[in-house]
Amino acid sequence: MTGVQGSIGVLQGSIGVHGFAGWLEATSASDAIKSASWVIPLLQSIHILTIGIVFISFLMIVLRVLGVMRTDEPVDAVWTRFAPWMWSGLVVMAATGITLVVGEPEREFGTVSFWLKMLLVAIGVTGTALYGRSLRSAAAGASTVFPVSAKAASVLMVILWIAVIFLGRAIAYDKQVWGALSPHA
Amino acid sequence: MDFPALIQSIQASPPAQWMRTSLAAMPVVEAIHVLAGATVFGTILIVDLRLLGFPDTRRPVTRVCSEMLRLTWIAFAVSLTAGALMFAANAHTYIGNTAFRLKMLALLGAGVNMALFHGFTFRNVKSWDQNAPVPLAARIAGAMSILLWVSVIFLARWIGFTKGFDFQVPVNPHIDFQF
Repeated sequence: MTGVQGSIGVLQGSIGVHGFAGWLEATSASDAIKSASWVIPLLQSIHILTIGIVFISFLMIVLRVLGVMRTDEPVDAVWTRFAPWMWSGLVVMAATGITLVVGEPEREFGTVSFWLKMLLVAIGVTGTALYGRSLRSAAAGASTVFPVSAKAASVLMVILWIAVIFLGRAIAYDKQVWGALSPHA
Repeated sequence: MDFPALIQSIQASPPAQWMRTSLAAMPVVEAIHVLAGATVFGTILIVDLRLLGFPDTRRPVTRVCSEMLRLTWIAFAVSLTAGALMFAANAHTYIGNTAFRLKMLALLGAGVNMALFHGFTFRNVKSWDQNAPVPLAARIAGAMSILLWVSVIFLARWIGFTKGFDFQVPVNPHIDFQF
């Protein structure tokens, strides 16, 4: 435990997270976000609303690959229908997410959940882009049945995005969730 | 049993006590509530957009409904269970919270909107199921549904910022839980 905690401390020290958070907290942009009590709840609401759009768009594509839904359409058509919603949703999530971080840098940077979430988001976005590219290059027709490997990859990606959603909520409960690993402990 | 006594007994029930005393319960149940709630919104949005004619009218309304609403109901049941647990933990505070009351009103509105749509407008769906303009009543139902569910999510997030808690998180908790 102390070893891991130590490495998190080293990581935060080496990239100067605490100093950066303090500086960010003091900027006029951060002040503006904190100035009205409704700004942060509003941003969080938009962030959650967009989860519904992004997660369900991705789930629709996955359910097609699994052969559960929209089996009358080729996967390419399902991708074309939902991918624009997914990518635009992700842009909105990044915009609201970054604004929330500028508003409350200490709340985010001081948690294990936030950093783990950012890591999984990076893997998730890269993975989803690669996933989409391989789906479209498969040039599959409406009757194509995908191999088990493609189905397994799909399920793994869904689990990854669910983990991102859980970690988002866990930021507010870092000490309860991570115990001694949390810098708040 | 009168209403305050009912709220009192909900808050004193074993699940409510578990929600207040277990360190794992609150973050996990809240995350499930967010995930399930987002799923309800995302799946209903696909149906609502189809009623508004997006992205087009090629896919039959009946097919979109039957595909999506299974997922919606499963997610709604999960969300309701998680929400009931969160409510039980602080029943007294929730009942007095304006954002919570408005959220319940918006949920009721969404339910009535859906019941009216399925009870009346949906009956002659055969004539506008596919490749046909959607009747005004159905388009209004779709727009109302989006408006009400967006309100539900906004009000839900507002509860967290406007209610106090009836309990304190332990200062030096014994951690028996890994996320």
